[in-house]
Amino acid sequence: MAQIEQSDKGGKKKKGAQKKMSIHVDFTPMVDMNMLLITFFMLCTTMIKSQTLQIALPSNEKLEQSQQNKTKQSEAVTLILDTERDDKGHVIMETDEATGATYPKHIVYYYEGKPFEGSFADNDVDNDNFIDADKLKLKEQRFRGNTNGEANGIRAILHQRNKDVLAKIDVLKKEWKEGTLASTKEANDSVFQARAREIRNDSTLTRPVVIIKAGPNASYEAVISALDEMQLNQISRYQIDNINATDSLLILSYLKTQGKL
Amino acid sequence: MGKPKIKRKSTLIDMTAMSDVTVLLLTFFMLTSTFLAKEPATVITPSSVSEIKVPLSNLVTILVSGAEAKSDGSLNRDVEGKVFIGITGDVDSVYSSEKVRRDLLIEANRLYNERFPEAKVNFTADQVTAFSKLGMFGMPMKDLPAFLSLPTTEQDKIMKEFNPAKVGIPINDNRDLTKLNEFQIWMDAMQRIAQDYRNNGTLNGKGEPVDPNPRFFEAIKKTGEGIAVKGDKDTPYSVMHLVLDNLQTLKLNKFSLMTALKSENE
Repeated sequence: MAQIEQSDKGGKKKKGAQKKMSIHVDFTPMVDMNMLLITFFMLCTTMIKSQTLQIALPSNEKLEQSQQNKTKQSEAVTLILDTERDDKGHVIMETDEATGATYPKHIVYYYEGKPFEGSFADNDVDNDNFIDADKLKLKEQRFRGNTNGEANGIRAILHQRNKDVLAKIDVLKKEWKEGTLASTKEANDSVFQARAREIRNDSTLTRPVVIIKAGPNASYEAVISALDEMQLNQISRYQIDNINATDSLLILSYLKTQGKL
Repeated sequence: MGKPKIKRKSTLIDMTAMSDVTVLLLTFFMLTSTFLAKEPATVITPSSVSEIKVPLSNLVTILVSGAEAKSDGSLNRDVEGKVFIGITGDVDSVYSSEKVRRDLLIEANRLYNERFPEAKVNFTADQVTAFSKLGMFGMPMKDLPAFLSLPTTEQDKIMKEFNPAKVGIPINDNRDLTKLNEFQIWMDAMQRIAQDYRNNGTLNGKGEPVDPNPRFFEAIKKTGEGIAVKGDKDTPYSVMHLVLDNLQTLKLNKFSLMTALKSENE
């Protein structure tokens, strides 16, 4: 462990001269113990704190017909989410051909405005009770993020729908980065936040209303991804709704047109 | 030529510097770490671009368990959708986690006995104390007194076994405020004590009245930061929706969903 060495050189000792002592303490066990403690702390701690996504849902009280807000058809975008699972119940992963990255197979069916031309009353439903292929407006997309700053998948569609707001926010962002909105950094940030909120809620711009519906198989992750798209595309008006029989019919009709049924 | 003399070197390495470094690292980890909370079910939260941090105080965590892989690779759906509640109190030592949990149990028990007068449950003082030490709980109310009387190791064993019939707070799709289910009773009790803290304050350990504290109430009713729902990314949304729907019925319609961070490009 620790040892004291006498340094004697050549044996020429002067009488009365103090002996030079050098003290070696072996720190190896100390280091061993420290390493063990570090390992313990590293394994038992969370370095990254979880994040949260804040949402507000309407309360469950029943609304009168007159109190309900109706969405303009031209503004509405409906997303129906689904997740494909294998027979054991695990989510299927798929590879994106363009980027080579793998994603869980979340499918986003979407339509803008009305889901199909005409209505059930007209003879738009064929003999098998499916909606005619040429009338159906349902399309399919995926969550694909950005490649080289360009939006892909469903993000590109929503981006296009909300481009007026996004263009204004981009201009504002540039000013915010240059710090020209206000004199101090804090004021600059708060002015940016307030102005961005104003733009998002500006009723003179064409803004979409997004309705998110989750199918029975859709995973929690798919819904969070959809909420993320709202945030990234600066969409202020969106809601989570329950899936109904018409939506199921739409998807079945779509799958039939794709030859998957 | 004579053989060159090989100098014998001492193999002693000076570990002092190494020791210094490790001690520094150790100090760093000790100061920055927050310990992983003991949770009955492990879930992998979905990723999101949201950067809002989970608050450290005045927080109700609602954990929803996910399906577990069985030995043959298929998923065991029986253990999915079990609900657990964890409570973190205020930084103010009077309104500590222990105090809030204690008040919560007493209030929830009162509401439960009102709701089910034919099957009343009562807790002893020791059981209430045991409850105040639990980081996260999830049991039907009728099984709770027996569970709380067990030593901690036995409690952990029951949670680890994760028998779907025995763990998890009972929940259904009730929307009637007069017929609250057990999960709603707990959350309603939470609302009530938070409101009481805001309006009337509480008594400290010595039985003296303390100033009202509105922070808990604001966190769960106004900003929605105080209710964090934690679920597994692969859980079907219908399972999560049941929990969210229960909260909506209680008019707790602002809340946060726990996520992990991801970049905008993913």
